[in-house]
Amino acid sequence: MRRAYFPALLLAAYAGVPLVLGGNAYVMSLIDAALVIGGIALAWALLGNLGGMVSFGHSAFVGVGGYASALLTAKAGLPVPAGLLLGGVGAVLAAIVMLPVLRLRGPYFALAILAYAHIFRILATEWTAVTGGAAGVSGVPPLPVIAGIDFGGKTGAYFVILTIVCVFAWIYARVSASHYGLALRAMHDSEDATQVLGVNSTLLKAAMLLLSAFMTGVVGAFNAHYIGFLEPDYAFAGLWVTLPIVAAIFGGYRTIAGPLLGAVVVYLLDQLVFKTLISSGHQLILGALLVAMIVFSPRGLLPLLTRGRKSDAGT
Amino acid sequence: MQRILGTTLAGLLCATLSAHAEEFTVGAELPLTGSLARVGAGMQEGIMVAADVFNRSNGKHKIKIATVDDESAPAKAIAAVEKLASDGAVAITGGYGSNNIAPASDAANKLGLVYITSGGVDENLVTAGRKNFFRINNTAGYEKAALGLFADMKVKSVSIVYSTKDATSSLAQSVQKALAAKGVKVTLHAFDPAMTDFKPVINKIRLQDKPDAVFMVGYENDYVGILRAARVLKPQVKAMVGVWSLATPKMAAEFPDLMPNVYGTALLPFPATFSSADGKAFADTYKALYKKEPDYLGQFGYVQSMLLFEAIARAADKGTIKKGGIAEELRKTDRETLIGRVQFGANGDNINFSHRMGQHQGKSIVIVWPPQHATGKMAYPGVPW
Amino acid sequence: MSDLILQALYSGVLAGGSYALIALGLALVFGTMRVINLAHGELVLLAAYIGYTVESRLGWSPVAAIPFALVVVCAAAACVYGVVSRIRVDREINSLIATFGIGVILTNAILLVWSADVRSTSSAWLQEAVVMGPLYGMRGELVFFGVSLALMGALWWWLAKSWYGRAVRAVASNRDAAQLMGIPPGRTELVSFLVAGVLAACAGVALYSVGVIQPALGGALTVKAFIITVLAGVGSIPGVLLGAVLLGVAEALTVTLASSALQELAGMGLFLLVLFVLPNGLFGAVRRRG
Repeated sequence: MRRAYFPALLLAAYAGVPLVLGGNAYVMSLIDAALVIGGIALAWALLGNLGGMVSFGHSAFVGVGGYASALLTAKAGLPVPAGLLLGGVGAVLAAIVMLPVLRLRGPYFALAILAYAHIFRILATEWTAVTGGAAGVSGVPPLPVIAGIDFGGKTGAYFVILTIVCVFAWIYARVSASHYGLALRAMHDSEDATQVLGVNSTLLKAAMLLLSAFMTGVVGAFNAHYIGFLEPDYAFAGLWVTLPIVAAIFGGYRTIAGPLLGAVVVYLLDQLVFKTLISSGHQLILGALLVAMIVFSPRGLLPLLTRGRKSDAGT
Repeated sequence: MQRILGTTLAGLLCATLSAHAEEFTVGAELPLTGSLARVGAGMQEGIMVAADVFNRSNGKHKIKIATVDDESAPAKAIAAVEKLASDGAVAITGGYGSNNIAPASDAANKLGLVYITSGGVDENLVTAGRKNFFRINNTAGYEKAALGLFADMKVKSVSIVYSTKDATSSLAQSVQKALAAKGVKVTLHAFDPAMTDFKPVINKIRLQDKPDAVFMVGYENDYVGILRAARVLKPQVKAMVGVWSLATPKMAAEFPDLMPNVYGTALLPFPATFSSADGKAFADTYKALYKKEPDYLGQFGYVQSMLLFEAIARAADKGTIKKGGIAEELRKTDRETLIGRVQFGANGDNINFSHRMGQHQGKSIVIVWPPQHATGKMAYPGVPW
Repeated sequence: MSDLILQALYSGVLAGGSYALIALGLALVFGTMRVINLAHGELVLLAAYIGYTVESRLGWSPVAAIPFALVVVCAAAACVYGVVSRIRVDREINSLIATFGIGVILTNAILLVWSADVRSTSSAWLQEAVVMGPLYGMRGELVFFGVSLALMGALWWWLAKSWYGRAVRAVASNRDAAQLMGIPPGRTELVSFLVAGVLAACAGVALYSVGVIQPALGGALTVKAFIITVLAGVGSIPGVLLGAVLLGVAEALTVTLASSALQELAGMGLFLLVLFVLPNGLFGAVRRRG
């Protein structure tokens, strides 16, 4: 995306959206939920693009991040912003447990992460003393009121998640442009060649897994405070796997803005347009749209929209 | 002159009456797709029947139901409540699953809307201080029914097989505590909701526990799996007892070999007999609209909505709808319904809720506990094999 | 105690048979086209609902539903192939999303047509107990275990002896070389999808007869099938049976010896354990990178 667009986009996001839509709690809550998916989609795409690993189990990080933050704030009384960061840290710890999986390839890796997600879910259900078991954690503290702004409200939460997502996108861009990013992209093409050149591919891949986990954990923690209630089935639900992947691929997963755009478009289109047209079958249209998108514009929505820019060669 | 006065008075009276006879939109936020689709659809049927019966019987006010599917997801439940509020709903009925009800009722609370449900038995829902939250059933009511039945049976040992979901495990654990306190030997067997082959579990019960009764706490697919496994292994028990979704005409019709002598919670016997006009109106309207026998989901949906509509009507008459009148009127509720006498405590819980136990006997369902509502004697000992 | 363990092993083997049937179709398509058909679970579920419709409308045994299920599911599988074959770019990941989209369409279509109620067979014959010494089984389970073995045998014979079967193996091993040898890859891939449809149809009817179905089940079936496929290793049919039986037995033993709440844990744990030791699955050929 052109650098010139950024200030205008940021202004529109931070000022324009709340001004225009702030009064409509319904649309704001849809946008909040869409940005949560977008954040996870961004982290997922980062792992895929920079780490070269497709994961089917990002729900593990969402759940661990959510539980870590919920328990630390509700039971141990830590302030919510600290909880968000510690949620990310919790997810990183979960990723460290997953490190042995790094030597697996393709679908083996993808499924192994999913297996971890299921295991964490069962842990959360059985370890009643710590996690509250199947009953989950109720009364997760909402985002606080700071300087008169209620960040627990729809618009306040919007600012928080928007900031989180923008910061992560920036981090993604920095990593991609750094020499680590170059090394990672080279690895994508040929891991043997890069190893010959002395690049420690395993360390880099591990770093990407931890980074992706951290981002997802923070978003998961945000969601736990936004919803206020956390249950094992919800924290580790399949939707945290499928929706971000769909959003990322729909929006164009090779770009940084693609997953975010995809999340917002897919979610809002589904809830605002399709659902009003066909109230109980709208997911069907979404499925059909996905299939059409993949068949006709496999690089996703963003490239479709910015057609005219020849940037296929390097990505 | 008198005629002019008379018609003017009559006209004025009509004007004032019709000015107060409004149509109110009530929001129904339910899972119609996703993992809870089955129960959401059942509850919706009850809500629609209630609207139909209310509109016909209450000449003055009309209720219109606006439904939004919450897709069994908390974020969408919140969005659904907000959409209904922006569409002019004066109250919300519905909701299933504590994970969805908690955030949805919080959203309703912030918007000043009453939220009434029969789908959330978690204790936290009523201990978190939600002012506009009401529910007509709770775990305690199911517990009372199960304990009452076991007391009548005079069992010495029970094996509890329960799904690790929230509602089922909290019920299983509170029943275990209560039974243990009375000196009954209890063994717990938790199972993952994805389990389909129950033979290993039932085999453990058959060979190790050897209880008087098996208490199944799960959902329809779990019951079918457990009963099938039990029919194959034939443990030496005297009763198979379940809770919701089991003592229903649907189960009797679809699985006739698995149901004989099985117990489950049931509000009404089958074929249904009604002691009140309310009940009869419910059953007749339900059959007319949906061409099938009503089940417990419809019954609960009906009761929660009727109570809400009546409160709305009372608040409308007093003109207090905009000033929190619905919640006030709802809290004053005290009437007999299909599920017994309903009164709401300060925390919104139905303090009288106590379920009833029914048993499949032949092709019908007989209420066997509590004695004051019983329509027959329990066939004990008795199992489906 | 030994009775418990014997029964657990027996139940596990029987369960493994039906898991294998569900996984085979996915494994075949994955092996041939390197495409993961995420709609596979929904195809199985579709067949299960056909079984329900036949039993409830016509009153026949679910086994008689197999021909109907074959027609419907193979048609659906052909449609999936039609979509997947149009994908030219990044086939592996894009076919994931495309088949996921098809899965969503199927799940919602099933929900709209058949509603959310749970269904299972009410046939008394299938639910009867079959007792062999200390081993108890349901007749339906035994019948479909036999069907499962028969189908696997037929599949193995087909892959080894028939023209199309060998074509499928050729295309799986090296698509371009096969094309150069005169094997039409497109048609062969379609055949593999159709055969997967046949397997899914039988698996679905078996599922309806032995277990309980509801519209939301599709996703879980796909995940289980995928886990078994990966556990077995790509391109191995006997591996699928072994992997499935291993999974079934692990689950049953966990339930018997530990707690039944940990059943899923057993499956996942087994899966991870095997992959750590054998990163290409039980029978997967070691593949060169790149």
